[in-house]
Amino acid sequence: MRAPTLPLAQREGFHAPGIEIFEWPDIFHLEVAGIDLSINRVVLQMFFIGLLVWGLFFFAFRRPKLVPSGLQNVMEAFVDFIRNQIVLEVIGRDGLRYMPYLTTLFVFVLFGNLGGIIPPILFPLNGRMALPAIMAICSLLLFISVGISSQGLAYFKNALFPPGIPWPVYILLTPIEFVSTFIVRPVTLAIRLLANMIAGHLILSVFFVATGYMLTSMNISTLFGLGALAFSVALIAFELFVAGLQAYVFTILSAVYIAGALEPEH
Amino acid sequence: MSESEPPREPPGRGADVVWSIIGTLIAGVLAWGFIGWLLDQWLGTRYLVAVGIIVGMAGAMYLIIKRHGSG
Repeated sequence: MRAPTLPLAQREGFHAPGIEIFEWPDIFHLEVAGIDLSINRVVLQMFFIGLLVWGLFFFAFRRPKLVPSGLQNVMEAFVDFIRNQIVLEVIGRDGLRYMPYLTTLFVFVLFGNLGGIIPPILFPLNGRMALPAIMAICSLLLFISVGISSQGLAYFKNALFPPGIPWPVYILLTPIEFVSTFIVRPVTLAIRLLANMIAGHLILSVFFVATGYMLTSMNISTLFGLGALAFSVALIAFELFVAGLQAYVFTILSAVYIAGALEPEH
Repeated sequence: MSESEPPREPPGRGADVVWSIIGTLIAGVLAWGFIGWLLDQWLGTRYLVAVGIIVGMAGAMYLIIKRHGSG
């Protein structure tokens, strides 16, 4: 800052970070058959988080002990949480075979989100549409396959024609059921996660850039800057809560969809 | 779990019902709005998309009451 004693209005203007902070340049450009496969920071982060999650589970359960300690303890807490709070609660014992998918989903989404507040990453992986979209499509394909394998083609009949309704009403309701089950479900799954991460990252960025600007302005604003700095702790804690909550919601809704496909509605 | 235990509600519980309701409402508007729009294109009219959105909302509410209503 060139002139710290000038009032705010005369300093170089404050530039709030916008949606451009979600765009990263290619580090390694690669195009195969017209498809852009370039590597940028977000892709590297995705590789890293994937490797991290794999490594955590691998080293935790490589030589499992009856009385767990250290890393095994931590990872067992995740597995226990998914098993008791999500699988058994939402699907029941039949759901235990989907536990590996749901656990992986939860831990991956959680660690991807946590990147938003952990230095030096400081970018939420799910703030880009690609990953939430792919995970939502995975959940969509999974619950459709579960439905077909447990009910056969009657799954589509049960999903599109809810029971206990006079037949002419199906003309009205079947298009709604189709869109809500096979389109709105995956789309909202992805957008909910994406939008929460974008909003959180934008709030943090704007807040911290503004805090830095106020702290360095060397006038009355500096005092407000100190207040903002103290408040930023609460903001980080809030983002931590959102990261966990969104991972939980994504997983529990996937579980709800699987449970709905396992047996017809009554 | 014994029945005397107070129900523990982790954050986000009940999200499934809430999102199912919101999803159905959105789906109603989308599905019948789209059908209305298609009819508009076909018949050269302009108001059927609005009619479709209202019909879709009504259908979605009927579905929600049928599914989640206590009666």
